[in-house]
Amino acid sequence: MSVVSRAFESPLLIFAAALTLRLVLFFYGIYQDAHSALKYTDIDYFVFTDAARAVSRGSSPYARATYRYTPLLAWILLPTSWSAKDGLWFHSGKALFAVSDIVAGWLIYRLLAKQGMTRQRALRYASVWLLNPMVANISTRGSSEGLLCAMVMATLYAFETRRILLAGALLGLSVHFKIYPFIYGVSMFWALKSKPAPAPNFADLKSISTLLNKARVQLLVSSLAIFTGLNLSMYSIYGHPFVEHTFLYHFTRTDHRHNFSLYNTLLYFSSADPSINPSIISAERLAFLPQIFLSCILLSLLPSTTCALPTTLLAQTLAFVTFNKVCTSQYFLWYLIFLPLYLPHSSLMQDWKRGVSALGAWIAGQAAWLGFGFRHEFLGRSAWLGLWGSSALFFLINCWLLGIVVQDGGGFARSKLEELSVVAKEEPEHGKLVR
Amino acid sequence: MRRRSTFIPPKEVDYDPSEIRITEGSLSFAGLQAAREERLTFGLNELPAEIVDVLQRSHELHVRWATERAYDKSSPYLSSISPGLHVSYTPLSDRNNDKLCPLLHRIFSESLRCVSPEISFSRPDILSERFASAAALQYYSLLPSLEKLVTWIQEHVCPPSGVGCRHNAALLNSASYVDIDYDSISHALTFAAFWSEPPTTTMGMVEGWQTYNNWNILVDPSPSDRNEVGILKASPGSEAAQIEMEGILTVVGEDNSPKPTRFFFPSRHHALSTKQDHDQSYTVSFDEPTGLHPTMRIRFPAATVLQEPASKAADSTCALHAYLTLPSTIFADEYAFPTTDIDPPFTEAHNIVSLRSLSGERDLEAPDYVIHKWGSAMLLELATPTSAQQIDTSWDVTIPLHLRYLKPTSGGKQHIEIPWPVVFWACTADEGTKFTVNPFDRINLAYDGLFGPRTMFYHLEPQPVANQKMLEAIDVPVLDTNVMTSSMAELLTLLLVTSGFLWVTWKVSREISWEWNWWSRTDARKGKAVTAEETKKSN
Repeated sequence: MSVVSRAFESPLLIFAAALTLRLVLFFYGIYQDAHSALKYTDIDYFVFTDAARAVSRGSSPYARATYRYTPLLAWILLPTSWSAKDGLWFHSGKALFAVSDIVAGWLIYRLLAKQGMTRQRALRYASVWLLNPMVANISTRGSSEGLLCAMVMATLYAFETRRILLAGALLGLSVHFKIYPFIYGVSMFWALKSKPAPAPNFADLKSISTLLNKARVQLLVSSLAIFTGLNLSMYSIYGHPFVEHTFLYHFTRTDHRHNFSLYNTLLYFSSADPSINPSIISAERLAFLPQIFLSCILLSLLPSTTCALPTTLLAQTLAFVTFNKVCTSQYFLWYLIFLPLYLPHSSLMQDWKRGVSALGAWIAGQAAWLGFGFRHEFLGRSAWLGLWGSSALFFLINCWLLGIVVQDGGGFARSKLEELSVVAKEEPEHGKLVR
Repeated sequence: MRRRSTFIPPKEVDYDPSEIRITEGSLSFAGLQAAREERLTFGLNELPAEIVDVLQRSHELHVRWATERAYDKSSPYLSSISPGLHVSYTPLSDRNNDKLCPLLHRIFSESLRCVSPEISFSRPDILSERFASAAALQYYSLLPSLEKLVTWIQEHVCPPSGVGCRHNAALLNSASYVDIDYDSISHALTFAAFWSEPPTTTMGMVEGWQTYNNWNILVDPSPSDRNEVGILKASPGSEAAQIEMEGILTVVGEDNSPKPTRFFFPSRHHALSTKQDHDQSYTVSFDEPTGLHPTMRIRFPAATVLQEPASKAADSTCALHAYLTLPSTIFADEYAFPTTDIDPPFTEAHNIVSLRSLSGERDLEAPDYVIHKWGSAMLLELATPTSAQQIDTSWDVTIPLHLRYLKPTSGGKQHIEIPWPVVFWACTADEGTKFTVNPFDRINLAYDGLFGPRTMFYHLEPQPVANQKMLEAIDVPVLDTNVMTSSMAELLTLLLVTSGFLWVTWKVSREISWEWNWWSRTDARKGKAVTAEETKKSN
């Protein structure tokens, strides 16, 4: 026990452990790929590397079917085309993804330390990400989410250290990579207040001049500049296929293959026969309304005091994924990255029964779905009702968890505000700023 | 019209030519047990207008149909195709030919998934530039019988009084395969049908004889037609590529007696030697449970005997191939197979060397109900046992495939069928060999276009379990509309989303309203302080 707690006093040891875990998985993956027809490497990794190969031959990454990412990803992975598929260079992308997720872990650790946490406590929470076998597994199998998570965490780090131009630029890059981080822009925008006030202060909305301040303008300009700049340059090189596969596809996709999303059965029905869906408010077309309203508008209004932003971002992401029309396990990483920053202030840690039941329910929801999915996908039994039922269960569990996160975020902000009100009483000059 | 009838009696049967009755304008015989090919060649002016209309827009059109039942091959009719309807087509210029699909519907089946060549046909790969005869477009559909074609011929081709014509058309119901070929250079349509054996009962065309398991023939052509009848036997020629034919030929109306004949020609298609032919048969099945990712298993009974054709030319090189014709309900992920790179673990696990060609509908995600192409065609080079692997077990090739999503149905199952692939050794022919057009040549079989012009095909024989078809069936699980209807799914989803949405909104608004209250309380407090300060100042 004491050995373990002493281990958490040394960042070197924890990061060495995180690196070792990934190295072991990385080389094990190479071994399994060479010796088994069942590949350790993720199917998506073959998509990225085929696209990188296409680029290395001077053609478009979109020559590879199902490549639905920015060309930047294929460019970054160009070294994977320097060897055949059994060569070491081929696997270099996985190393990059694994290093990225360690970088994300390091940023988490720095953010926790910045909050005034002891080194040991910060390392413990950072280990929820760094030593998480699920995270290490996803990265070393070659899923690009590790890279994306590093970008998102870098955005948050830059933001929390008040480097707003950099935060905006990183945000623009993240949105160019995967669209969904645009929801973070909204809460970051509100968090940049000129003075202590609720977010948004409705007085802000009276005119543009009160809505905007220097920091908000910096965030807007730098994020839009990078996002637009990247899109225009990619469009000028790859033309319509870039827009089609990177962006439009995600708006028109109605994945018929079953996935965790609650909407899946409905989408299957309506894709199979558009005419059997006569209702005017065809539900699946309106699905983005609750999703965007919650993740982009309502949750961005959560009390935003110092250190509360990660919890807001977690709530936004959880809502975005839960209410999305398509949902696969890789999406879970999008919100898991914020977990180490949220847990220290969470009722899930203070009340262990609550914590265990939350984790248990989240896992049980997935397990139920995966069980029916296996029956359906591999045993060929009709398990649609079970799949629908477990999607519904998983949806409700996620809503419950979202409620907890929201409540914890609010509670944390409340305690901060109460601290502030003590300060405010002692410092009456604050009064000058208020109407 | 020109007609050529060829009968190939079994090796052990000696046919006595004196059994053939020849009069001034007719030929007849009865009691011949043999395989039979009928080949009819028509000029455009002899064909119904709706056919001519389509042909005049075609550069080349080749229709192939094969039965679902396994049949015995007779040399030189040795080539194989998967059971069903295959169409190879090159339109004349880019003029759209929207009349082809409606014609196929009228002649073969109304249920063919065929809208127009542009939409429903696929473009085969061009692996061998020099093989000029490969058509530009390919189409396939399962088609269990030619009943509709028989009726169509009887109604649109046979003269009203043509009892013989209607009888001959009905014989197509027992044909092993049928080929229809047209090209714009010859301006002629060839209709060929092959029977591996006589039908169980043949109506008496010759003086009312009714025969069983025997052919009885009466050929009495109109003066403008030319009819040739041959009874021939084939044997391997002196060179590997050659087939030698020997027997009797009669041109009805010209010859007074059958003329003995003997000739040889280089043939693309060959059988394995009798011994090898017996050893190298194959069966096809799907591993249970099939799930949504079925594995097709091609099983050769013995690894020890799966060896290159014994009768190939000395310096010829050979490779074992399988050609799969996959209806739109099932597909292969092209990226799951090695193409140029070698992948020893994959080869070891599946006994597949590489994916040589995959054409047609290759979308990896689309459900069956949103795609328009007929399906896809796939050529695989198979691995053969190394000398170390030649142990006395079966040799299994496993092909990972995937099912497309199908429409919801009442009952929650959809029955689909997949034809067995054809399996053959492709061997290089001698340098000087030229496969010139010969009377028994059969090209445009889809897979032959993927090989060079000097390739010989040695076909392995499918061995379905007794009386079984060369089709594999899968029951695909789909959403059962008895359990959940579209409106139910809509209502329940809406209900859940609304509840989840309201729950989260309630939670958030509680937090937000607390914060706003706090600020307004603080503001009020501070406001009082400010007012007090201002009062103080003004005083």
